[in-house]
Amino acid sequence: MRGRLLAALAAALTLIAGGCGSISGSAGEFTPARPGVLTVATSTVPTAAFWEGTARRPTGGFEYELARDLADRFGLGAVRVRIVPFHRIVAGQLGGADLGLSLITPTAERERSLDFSTPYLDSPPTVLVRTGTEVPDLASAQELRWGVIRSTTFVARIHEQIAPETATTTFDSQRAVLKALEGSRVDATLFDLPLAVSLAHHSGGRLEAVAQLPEPEQIAVALPRGGDNVEAVDSAIRAFIADGRIHDLLARWVGSQAANAERDLPLLRTSRR
Amino acid sequence: MSALATISIESPSGAAWEFLILFAVVIVGPPLVQRARVPGIIGLLVGGFAIGPHGFNLIGAGDTTVPELGELGLLYLMFVAGVELDLNLVRVHRNSVVGFAAITFAVPMGLGAAVGFGLGWGIPAALLLGALLASHTLLLYPTARGAGLSADRGVATAVGATVLTDTAALVVLAAVSGSQLAGGSTLSIAAQIVIGLAVLLAFTLFLLPRLARLAFRYLGTDRIVRYLLAVASFLAAATLADSFGIEGIVGAFFAGLALNRLVPNEGPLMDRIDFFGAAVFIPVFLVSVGMLLDPAVMFGDRTLLLAGLFILASIGGKAIAAGIARLAFGYNGPQTELMLGLTIPQAAAALAATIVGFDIGLFDQSVVNAILVLILASIVVGTILVDRSVKQVARPLTSDRLGRRVLVTLEEPAQAPLAFALARRIAAPDNGVVHGLLASPPGEAPSRRELLAELGAAAFAADLDAEPTLLVHESLPDGVVNAAAAERASLVLVGQHPAAASAFGSAGETVAAVAPAPVAILIGDADRVSRVHLSRDGDSAASELAAELAARLGADGGATVAELSAGELCVMPAASWELLANPPQPAPGAAVLIVPEA
Repeated sequence: MRGRLLAALAAALTLIAGGCGSISGSAGEFTPARPGVLTVATSTVPTAAFWEGTARRPTGGFEYELARDLADRFGLGAVRVRIVPFHRIVAGQLGGADLGLSLITPTAERERSLDFSTPYLDSPPTVLVRTGTEVPDLASAQELRWGVIRSTTFVARIHEQIAPETATTTFDSQRAVLKALEGSRVDATLFDLPLAVSLAHHSGGRLEAVAQLPEPEQIAVALPRGGDNVEAVDSAIRAFIADGRIHDLLARWVGSQAANAERDLPLLRTSRR
Repeated sequence: MSALATISIESPSGAAWEFLILFAVVIVGPPLVQRARVPGIIGLLVGGFAIGPHGFNLIGAGDTTVPELGELGLLYLMFVAGVELDLNLVRVHRNSVVGFAAITFAVPMGLGAAVGFGLGWGIPAALLLGALLASHTLLLYPTARGAGLSADRGVATAVGATVLTDTAALVVLAAVSGSQLAGGSTLSIAAQIVIGLAVLLAFTLFLLPRLARLAFRYLGTDRIVRYLLAVASFLAAATLADSFGIEGIVGAFFAGLALNRLVPNEGPLMDRIDFFGAAVFIPVFLVSVGMLLDPAVMFGDRTLLLAGLFILASIGGKAIAAGIARLAFGYNGPQTELMLGLTIPQAAAALAATIVGFDIGLFDQSVVNAILVLILASIVVGTILVDRSVKQVARPLTSDRLGRRVLVTLEEPAQAPLAFALARRIAAPDNGVVHGLLASPPGEAPSRRELLAELGAAAFAADLDAEPTLLVHESLPDGVVNAAAAERASLVLVGQHPAAASAFGSAGETVAAVAPAPVAILIGDADRVSRVHLSRDGDSAASELAAELAARLGADGGATVAELSAGELCVMPAASWELLANPPQPAPGAAVLIVPEA
């Protein structure tokens, strides 16, 4: 009799819960903008170690593989890449994409127009220079001509922490700032450490990462503000961190260079610390 | 003026600021809510919300200090949960404990899993939900204990069942998190979890107690080292669990169970563990959980619907379980209500499982917030039930257990090894504590204080968590009696050295006459005994107390004092005061434990 009562209660609870269709999904539910496809906004393809190949035919890279894993988790068959300038992504204009993966750091200002997942990387800003340029201390850093991608958090970092003697030049894209660096129009720039190390590695010896700034920045997935997919993406990133997938992707695409660099690169003592 | 203009005051930031905010919440949060008769834990959760990213954002979402400290706090919480549980109650009320544990785990587990499946969740998420709803935390046990009901059969069953329900919940958690974190086939994942649990159990229940006993004995004379050894124990178990893909809290809980017997609940080491836990680690964990509270999510339709279902499954399940237990084991109405009130509150284990589910991406923020609503509701309902039922449950007639608090009073440290060894064996079945006193006339106090280290070393060598102190008194018997009353001793073991030229003289007799607890007088200079007898030549047939002590000491035969040889002890009941005034002197290397009739 008691067993029947319990079974009836369990069945009733199951039915009640089943009737609450709008609250299903223990880790959030993902609804793509385009059925069956995860559309991802990023600023530059290729970006060494993060986006390999082309936007139409990406072949690998940390963030591309992360997008693939997200698509798999959400049961989506394909990943479509949409190129959107970085300053537009951080202004909340994802061009209709479901999410943005472009080494984006959450900031209070950006949170006014975007939602962010749990961070998937912690990365110190890293000084990238032409090989041979030495940046042993803040004074020598201040004498350099700095260039940086527009709308990145590095604009404020250079202004507040380094305070160079000449005005910082801003560029619209990663390609433009690298071209300016290699063409000696600027002497130094800042990138997130894994990217800086990868760019130096792929530059054929022309560029090198020489110092890291204090206070690492966090990198997270950007999503349209107020959308319904934040919980699902957030849970997915936590799961990928917990099961070691993020670690494996980093090891595969950036290798031990980033870990070694974080340990070996000297810390540039700046005015803030 | 120009000098003033150069002064710049920056907005506070950095580790010192974060810790200041954190400790301000820990100090202010609980008393504020307790004024409204709400448990302090709620003050910490709400305080965490207030300083967190969804509140005043004093500690931002990107902060790693508080979550990392909170993670340590979670391990600490689970360790304390394991070490505090009264395993003796499981032994004493074996059948009802196992029966009630099975019911109060299975019913909410089944209902919780049914809710999960009904919501269309995957198997791991549904099982984890069931397990966390099936666990409970003895948040309201102090209320029952304060009402003098700790020995009540219903209370003892509820407390004992907690050991099993929380262990079962954590095993489910280990299996679920392991299946999510370990790669490979289902078979290889299952094998890894089973092997991991087997290794963890072998380490915590077999190796760790022995290692800890050795470490306490040889390194633990320093109180700081003893505390750090306890902390290192649960960190080692958590690390081992983690290396097998099992959540660290499972290891920490098992480490608590492993050290349960070595760390008596009322001993100085437990006091220290409780102090640091209550002051820092556990509040910080609760504050870090509160930082996840998001009103926008908590009061959303989805969260409230989930919370309603969870409350129905958890509290409903516990109520059904208590009802079945009433019919099956014959508890009366108030007892059943008290058991229900004790097993409804969700806190430590549920929070731990929820946070793990969140961290591994099984649960989203709505589920976490719904669980927090459940925790709040369960504490409120549990408090109402316990407050009401403790007034109706009859006080048990049983007196304090004999080994609960054994007070060892010695005049000569030479007797310490044997006295502490005997006290440990007497206290062990009750998971009791032993406190050592070195008696001293006022004039000799400075010189005798130096002997305390010798006494302490003897206590540690006997695997005791005891820190002997000096008892200075004009009249030593009076001092012993006063100390026994102050310590609420359940047994006073008085050492009387044969060569002490009756310094105690008839002190044992005086103590026995007026002590507020049973007394046993140890005579003899043996360091250790390998055989214990119950006396055949006492004044009376073996008294109940002497027989009980002899049984606890492992007596395996009868003997007279004259028959004793070195390494033997005789437990001797004494009905006449003449025997106490002129006690028999055992042979060198032997000892007698005289037990005056109460």
